[in-house]
Amino acid sequence: MLEVKGIKLVRDEREILNTLTATFESGRVYAILGNNGVGKSTLSYVLMGLESHRDYEGNVVFDGEEIDLLSVSERARKGITLGWQEPVRFQGLTVKEYLTLGGKLKLSKEELNETLSVVGLNKEYLDRFVDESLSGGERKRVELASIILVNPKVTILDEPDSGIDIMSMEMIERVLERLRDKGSIVIIITHREEIARMADEAYLLCGGRILASGEPEEIVNFYRKLCDNCQHINEPITEGGRVDD
Amino acid sequence: MINSNFEREFTAIAKEYERSGGNVSDFLRKDIVSIIVSGNKVIGRNTVDGVHVKAKELNNGVEIWLEIDDGTVIDNPIHLCTGYLKPEGTQEILIHNHLGDHTKAKFISHCVFPSGVNFTHSMVADTDVGKYSEMLYEDTHMHSKDGGVTVKATYNTVVREGGSFQNFFYLTKTRVGKLFVKMNVDLEKNASAHIESKVYEREDDYLEIDEQLYLNGEGSSGIAKTTVFATDRSKAKIINKAYGNAAYSKGHIECNEIIKGDSVEVGTVPELYVRNEKAELTHEASIGRVNVKQMETLMSKGLTEEEATDMIVRGMLR
Repeated sequence: MLEVKGIKLVRDEREILNTLTATFESGRVYAILGNNGVGKSTLSYVLMGLESHRDYEGNVVFDGEEIDLLSVSERARKGITLGWQEPVRFQGLTVKEYLTLGGKLKLSKEELNETLSVVGLNKEYLDRFVDESLSGGERKRVELASIILVNPKVTILDEPDSGIDIMSMEMIERVLERLRDKGSIVIIITHREEIARMADEAYLLCGGRILASGEPEEIVNFYRKLCDNCQHINEPITEGGRVDD
Repeated sequence: MINSNFEREFTAIAKEYERSGGNVSDFLRKDIVSIIVSGNKVIGRNTVDGVHVKAKELNNGVEIWLEIDDGTVIDNPIHLCTGYLKPEGTQEILIHNHLGDHTKAKFISHCVFPSGVNFTHSMVADTDVGKYSEMLYEDTHMHSKDGGVTVKATYNTVVREGGSFQNFFYLTKTRVGKLFVKMNVDLEKNASAHIESKVYEREDDYLEIDEQLYLNGEGSSGIAKTTVFATDRSKAKIINKAYGNAAYSKGHIECNEIIKGDSVEVGTVPELYVRNEKAELTHEASIGRVNVKQMETLMSKGLTEEEATDMIVRGMLR
């Protein structure tokens, strides 16, 4: 179980995350829904423990242990990983080297090929370079394959659909299914309703806190009604709580 | 073929050659042009139709002439291997390459100095790439562990009309010692060149690279690029220059220096000179740590900072 307890992060005198509290359980997919600039990606960086986002107040607790002082690598070794919104490119590294972390992960050809097929790529990609020769969509698929292969206990996916065409929603659903089946906690950061609907539970984020939580369909409806044409982002008109509260 | 008087020397050099990524069996093939130099001796040599190889032993080294007849396309790479097995001394290598018109050749060169404690290797390669010819030259160096090797390598190249020249220099797997590389390329009408150096410095290694592109012919183009990973107490000074002397010539120079360690001292000087209003020159330069986002991407999958750095740098220097 992953618990986020009263997380507060301030930048330029603005509260990006405002005493945010939430709980995530194994084998479930959670959507964090919200407009641009409400703190979604910041939450993902805090959970992953990026150096630039470690100065938060509150606690991140994983399986009963406070992990606030742990670095990115240490959190990753506990099973937490992050799929980046815009995956970075690597000059001179092949997809195979990237997926196996330079040979550190001992993976069979079958595992590599099968995982590539989940994200809609074939084995020919293993020898391609993870550089500008891959399109944004291809790079994103490679990133999702790498997430599956590290077998995470907690998966944070920051905008998994960005750079990927609408036809690829089924691929994202397959990825989520795979991670859910393996018992991973999956946290999807998104502003897309179609992606939020793939989750088991959704949180609506505004002003750095949870404005509402519940069934994805309810939250999507709430989002559509109140947030789609929002003129006052980060100044929520209602206090937090479930939609049906 | 291998001179039977030098089989032991060949075996020792071959071992280092393989360590640097070469394939020794290529030296035994009759369909591959090869030259193996140890000290001031040519210990192995082979050639094929259309390629003429001459060599002269000097007091401290070897002078080599390699000529390729007009219209000759060489399917297999030409292998050059220069070795020096003793810890002290000097070696001078003079190379004269002449590619006729409409030729195509790839050169794979390895320089192995595994024992150098107080050793200096000087090499000057003068190359003439004929009209509409294509030449690729890859030069990989393997030096000793204790940093006692000094290398002074100069490449002077003329690329004739419509010709293409690529030159890659790699010293990434061992200590550098002291390294001075000069690459000068003169480009005639519609000729193109890509010259690139990649070096990994450790301990108190010292490096100077000076790459110069002379875009003398109308429509000529060139790229001069350097990538250096400097660690510990190493020093590096990189100069990339391009001269846009002709109409519609295009040049780009680029230097990326990645540093790790508080005692590293590196610098880069890009210089662009335009002498024709229709010439276009650009440059890029960066000095800094390994890209943070690349690091965090790999670390978020479980690599340590050291492992992530190693993986990123290995890719960049490949």
